[in-house]
Amino acid sequence: MLFVESLYSAINSIRANATRSFLTSLAIIIGTASVIAMIAIGEGAQNALNDEIDELGGRVLSVYASQRKRGGVTYGSNPLIIKDAEALRDDTKVDWKITPSIEGSRQIKFGNNNMSAGISGHWTNYFDIQGYKISSGRNFTENENLSRKRVAVIGPKVATELKTSPRTMLNKELLISGVPFRVIGILESEGSSGWRSPDDNVYVPLLTASDRIYGRKTVNSISVSISNDQNIEEAMVAIEQVLRRQHDIGPGVDNDFRINDWSQYSDLRNEAVAIFTILITGIAGISLLVGGIGVMNIMLVSVTERTREIGLRKALGATHRAIMMQFIVEAMLLCLLGGIIGVILGAGMYYIFSSFQEWAFYIPLGAIIGSITFSAAVGLFFGIWPARRAAKLDPALSLRYE
Amino acid sequence: MSIIKTADLKRSFSMGTQSVEALRGINLDVNAGEFIAIMGPSGSGKTTLMNIIGCLDTPTSGKYFLNNQEVSKLKDDDLARIRNKEIGFVFQSFHLLARSSALDNVMLPLKYAGEKKNIATERAKASLNDVGLQDRMSHSPSELSGGQQQRVAIARALVNSPSILFADEPTGNLDSQTGDDVMALFKQLHKNGQTIIVITHEEDIANQAERVITIRDGLIESDKLVHENE
Ligand SMILES: Nc1ncnc2c1ncn2[C@@H]1O[C@H](COP(=O)(O)OP(=O)(O)OP(=O)(O)O)[C@@H](O)[C@H]1O
Ligand SMILES: [Mg+2]
Repeated sequence: MLFVESLYSAINSIRANATRSFLTSLAIIIGTASVIAMIAIGEGAQNALNDEIDELGGRVLSVYASQRKRGGVTYGSNPLIIKDAEALRDDTKVDWKITPSIEGSRQIKFGNNNMSAGISGHWTNYFDIQGYKISSGRNFTENENLSRKRVAVIGPKVATELKTSPRTMLNKELLISGVPFRVIGILESEGSSGWRSPDDNVYVPLLTASDRIYGRKTVNSISVSISNDQNIEEAMVAIEQVLRRQHDIGPGVDNDFRINDWSQYSDLRNEAVAIFTILITGIAGISLLVGGIGVMNIMLVSVTERTREIGLRKALGATHRAIMMQFIVEAMLLCLLGGIIGVILGAGMYYIFSSFQEWAFYIPLGAIIGSITFSAAVGLFFGIWPARRAAKLDPALSLRYE
Repeated sequence: MSIIKTADLKRSFSMGTQSVEALRGINLDVNAGEFIAIMGPSGSGKTTLMNIIGCLDTPTSGKYFLNNQEVSKLKDDDLARIRNKEIGFVFQSFHLLARSSALDNVMLPLKYAGEKKNIATERAKASLNDVGLQDRMSHSPSELSGGQQQRVAIARALVNSPSILFADEPTGNLDSQTGDDVMALFKQLHKNGQTIIVITHEEDIANQAERVITIRDGLIESDKLVHENE
């Protein structure tokens, strides 16, 4: 009953001073809105990132050569070679698909237009591993690889950059470093995922790239695609075993290659998102603190303005506790309303943001409950002092107050 | 039966270096059912006395017994409970909550008493009925005349069936006709056994009581019974 009376009196008082109440809770509104928007953006970014990583091939590992170290001393690097990839391919303990990649860039020319483009050489299963599709023409064959045929599959943007269309280029000659290659296939547009864009690259058979373009047996990386029913950790151990044997690395000596696991990369980015979220939450926390001080200030003003009312309530039998409750409930309600408006505003802000980003609209329920609870707690904390002041007023003196 | 008994009640206010002695030794006895008027010039200590015997304030020295219980030594919350149960106040400026209906204003003491809502509503309605405002329950103070507002305040003062009803200049803000109506209401209440103490400046208001006490400079100057001779 007393609580209901306190709530009733708080609603009356906030309604009577609507503008002042709104301005007071503005900092709470802004604080809560930014917490909600930032948590939602953080969450959205994380989801978008996870999608991106899945697209990049969550189950594709890349192996690179790295510095060889022993007891802190660097021995220079031991490059990966085609034989390493063959050894991995021939190892049948794990169900995986392997392709080495030789990468670089060369001048290409079609008609009168030329440009510099990325040229990479792979085995025939490369497109399958990466999940790229050929929209017209065909993939190169194992025979073409073995006989170092001058054939190429191009990304669709190569054509646009050469100021022509993919259709025109198909089955025509493309000059790579002045050497004619036949365009046998066009990739479907993949869009850019991360920093790579498969769309503006030229793909040729591995041995063609190795012998005819780059003149080297070393490869830049080996991609390992692991089937869904295989454990990634186990696959990584298997890669390590094969390559250590290939490179003749004795026990106690570090690997001279590294395995790039996309999920590690995602952990790193997740961590960055988490730090960002903490930072923004901190800023929002400060604005809630400032809001709380504003509420305290206005509550002190309210106590002074309502001295006679407090005197009357005491004359009618309100105890210390009853007056405390009345003013704490009012401060909490003020902050709670600010918190609720803030949540709505923050959700609105994120709604607009997410529609621009084409992210799903989703706000974690915990964030909503948490920030509303927190704003009420701010009201409780900053309401205590003004409420105590009200409760301690002398009734006889308060009734005389003009 | 004595409900109020004071012994050498003193109250001084210190204002910086100076000290004002508002009450300088009040000895007062009030029996149940009495209708008393307290008179005296402005600043003589009437309100100060009412505050102490109404448990809004405590004396600097002296003793005060309410219903044979010494209250001059009680703590704030105990005094609050006594005010809630034993005392009803009516003020010159009504002191109603501006944004609450007449009914909610009258219910307020019952809420502080921890009464259940339905019981509180019933009693507040009955109390408003007693002062003739049964058809104004949902009106807010600004929608009521001064006399009606004072009657709401009287209904509020009576809703907890207090031992004493205090009224400090209850007619001070009212025209003489409505003032007389309020006094008629008090007389009616008195007839039903209510103990009433009214503070007033006006002789003819005071003369409607049974007993008139005059205060001057913090002391009782005279204390006499009024004879009903018109
Ligand atoms: N809280 C206070 N602080 C200081 N002085 C006070 C206080 N309350 C009352 N006084 C003083 O005590 C004296 C008595 O005041 P009180 O209000 O009791 O007079 P009163 O008889 O009710 O006068 P009035 O008829 O004008 O209402 C006055 O001199 C007043 O200034
Ligand atoms: Mg007075």
